[in-house]
Amino acid sequence: MDRVALLIMSEDCMGCHACEVACKQEHGLDVGPRLIQVVERAPLFVPLYCHHCSRAPCQVACPADAISRDDRDIVLIDEEACIGCLACVEACPFGAAQFDEERNVAVKCDLCRERLLDGGEPACARACPTRCIVWGGVKSISERVARRAAARQLMT
Amino acid sequence: MGETKQIRTSCRGCHGGCGVIAHVKEGRVTKVEGDSEAPIGRGTMCSKGLAVTQLAYHPDRILYPMEKTDSGWERISWDQALDTIADRFRGVVEEHGAESIVVGQGTGRDYESFLYRFANLLGTPNVLTAGHMCYVSRVGATLITCGNLPVSDFEGEPKCLVVWANNPLWANPDEYKGVDFWAAYQKGTRLIVIDPREGFLAKRAELWLQLRPGTDAALALGFLNVILEEGLYDEEFVERYVHGWEAFVDRVEEYPLGKVEEITWVDKGLIREAARVYATTKPACIQWGVPIEQTINCTDSNRLLTALMAITGNLDAPGGNVFFVPPPVRVVSEFGLHRDLPKEQRAKRLGGDQYKLASRVALVTPKAVWDAILTGEPYPVVAGLLCGTNPVVTRANAKEVHAALSKLEFLAVIDFFLTPTAELADIFLPAATWLEQDYVGDFWKRHGYVMARQKVVEIGECWQDHKIFQELGKRMGQEEHWWATLEDALNYMLEPSGMDFREFVRGGYLKSEMRYQKYEEKGFSTPTGKVELYSTLLEKWGYDPLPQYREIPESPVSRPDLAEQYPYILNAGLRTPVFFHSEHRMIPWLREIRPDPLVEIHPATAKRHGIEDGQWAYIESPRGRIKQRVKLNSGIDPRVVVAEHGWWYLEAEAPDHGWDVSNVNVLTDNDPAGYDPAMGSTNLRVLLCSISPCQNE
Repeated sequence: MDRVALLIMSEDCMGCHACEVACKQEHGLDVGPRLIQVVERAPLFVPLYCHHCSRAPCQVACPADAISRDDRDIVLIDEEACIGCLACVEACPFGAAQFDEERNVAVKCDLCRERLLDGGEPACARACPTRCIVWGGVKSISERVARRAAARQLMT
Repeated sequence: MGETKQIRTSCRGCHGGCGVIAHVKEGRVTKVEGDSEAPIGRGTMCSKGLAVTQLAYHPDRILYPMEKTDSGWERISWDQALDTIADRFRGVVEEHGAESIVVGQGTGRDYESFLYRFANLLGTPNVLTAGHMCYVSRVGATLITCGNLPVSDFEGEPKCLVVWANNPLWANPDEYKGVDFWAAYQKGTRLIVIDPREGFLAKRAELWLQLRPGTDAALALGFLNVILEEGLYDEEFVERYVHGWEAFVDRVEEYPLGKVEEITWVDKGLIREAARVYATTKPACIQWGVPIEQTINCTDSNRLLTALMAITGNLDAPGGNVFFVPPPVRVVSEFGLHRDLPKEQRAKRLGGDQYKLASRVALVTPKAVWDAILTGEPYPVVAGLLCGTNPVVTRANAKEVHAALSKLEFLAVIDFFLTPTAELADIFLPAATWLEQDYVGDFWKRHGYVMARQKVVEIGECWQDHKIFQELGKRMGQEEHWWATLEDALNYMLEPSGMDFREFVRGGYLKSEMRYQKYEEKGFSTPTGKVELYSTLLEKWGYDPLPQYREIPESPVSRPDLAEQYPYILNAGLRTPVFFHSEHRMIPWLREIRPDPLVEIHPATAKRHGIEDGQWAYIESPRGRIKQRVKLNSGIDPRVVVAEHGWWYLEAEAPDHGWDVSNVNVLTDNDPAGYDPAMGSTNLRVLLCSISPCQNE
């Protein structure tokens, strides 16, 4: 299967936080772990989220081999195997590896894998009103970003 | 294991509208998401709508009617609750007259028509809503100017967007949602932003006009001055369709750019440039926000923006500000039975003689009600029925509001939670959320759609607001004017469309075919049939028929005597993306995002007072003192402090729930000297304040 990824074009993020609530709802998470989070630094907004890195620091750091990739390169945590050591939380440069204190396990974005298998889109992308959350094959994301850059230059 | 059903409905987390797919399993909503096929929202949803399951299933939500007794709140039946209210109201009508009962709602919600139907049949002219300073004030001002409310036509491909005191991506702009604004913008428009604060859009804008809060009318006069001076207006339109042009021109000339710069703090070169871009880029639309309505300049600000739309040829033109053709359903005024309110009762409307435009749109200004409760003048108001409103937090001069509501002999409140206002009630009626109701959604709006909302679940003994008014009405001798069931009432609303509620639900929404420039056939719906830049109605009612700028009553200009003690302009009412007015603070997902009320100050202001970013600070006005957490923002003027509104704490001790801790309306004033003369709009936005660090916090 083709590799999939997700990218937030942060310039277009207007800080509505809809993605955060959509994600919590989709994953049944309560207050605490935030798999996607938008930090406000008025007038800018900084989205923090999992990039499903090619060489994922969380996977490298995990001493229990609880972090793996599926056939679409989505980086996943096996909660059964997780020993709750926080090594991935420390290793992630994006603050995207989170810890669920209720269950004592690390949690992270699974790119709404189940929704993708059903032909849907990630919950965060579905909610976003500026459509700044793009996902799909890596090549198609690159192409979209390039198209957008070209459109911007034509506008000015 | 039960199957998960997906049910199509529409949200009402804010004013409402966005299409939703609700996922229901074993009688419980497990998830909601946007409906990609819906014309409102287009598949997106905001944080508030997405968090509805945490609202509907909140452990502190009240799920049955209650009566306040000596030993606290006690559960009662719907029959007991409605009979009690009906008995008490009948007693008031016999002793004082129906006008001594105030019926109220808060922000615009689509039960307005049921509420008005009940109040008009009851015979009380005293209906208290937010309308005197929010939306209805705009509807009123535009009705008398051009016959209808002009709405941004984002689908009509505007080439220039002027965002005037609004953040359509965060706050609900009453008609369309931000997603349509964004789609229009992405097609490549010019963008002008008028805002005292550098937000997301101001940062992207080609031109950002950072005005002194509350001076929008003066800035609009500056725009008009440039357009007239440089001949950038549509001469043919003006000649054929404008009433009072010469007098209007004379008035505009009283505001040369130098004077406007002095009033607004906006560089006159920038005003000139912005006016040129707006007037010469066709089509252009103005997306206007509510702050311009919440000062002494409410009516005239609205009229001046309408004048800009009109004379540039953008009124009812594709991509401009248009009059959407309403869908074929009964309108609010007809369903609300405004004509059935007896003339002698209408004449008793509190403040009706003074605020004639408000009276025209069936509103009272809140202070007239508080005064009648507290002083008995001009007659006593002794009982109330409030639905979906928390005036202790949302109306100006909160301390007076609290005192007045506390003094009522009898109060019934319809809500989800025991708010600081509900705690003052004698009877609490539990309202259904939008997941638990059938309705013709967005019925009151002017965007050309109605959206089907259908009951997805039932929770506790909650009733939808509409049913409460219908059933209470039947107990008050209004049987012949109501229906056996709510669905019958909805069928009546939908009758002109030729379909019943079930057919409507199957279709999802109704929209009429849009037609532009309708004035070419039938003129404008005003007394002269033209756009009345000189208002014959304002003149008839004894107001200035031409728009002007009035200085804000409590500003460094008008009250230099207060400047030493209160050196900053407080721009009150900053919106957050995760709460709607005073709602949602108890929703865990939303509160995690915004745990505390925020006051934004410039880094230089913080330095001057020794305040750190993230520290709690006291904000003080001549009315009182509150505290909020400081967020530094270099994108506001160092002379301005910007504070959030709507804060109270369900988790804090009952019955107060901390209503006076962070509530910005402890600071605002409701002195009638600061009201819009025709509309009675309260100044909720601009006042003087000081700021100082909270110690030990």
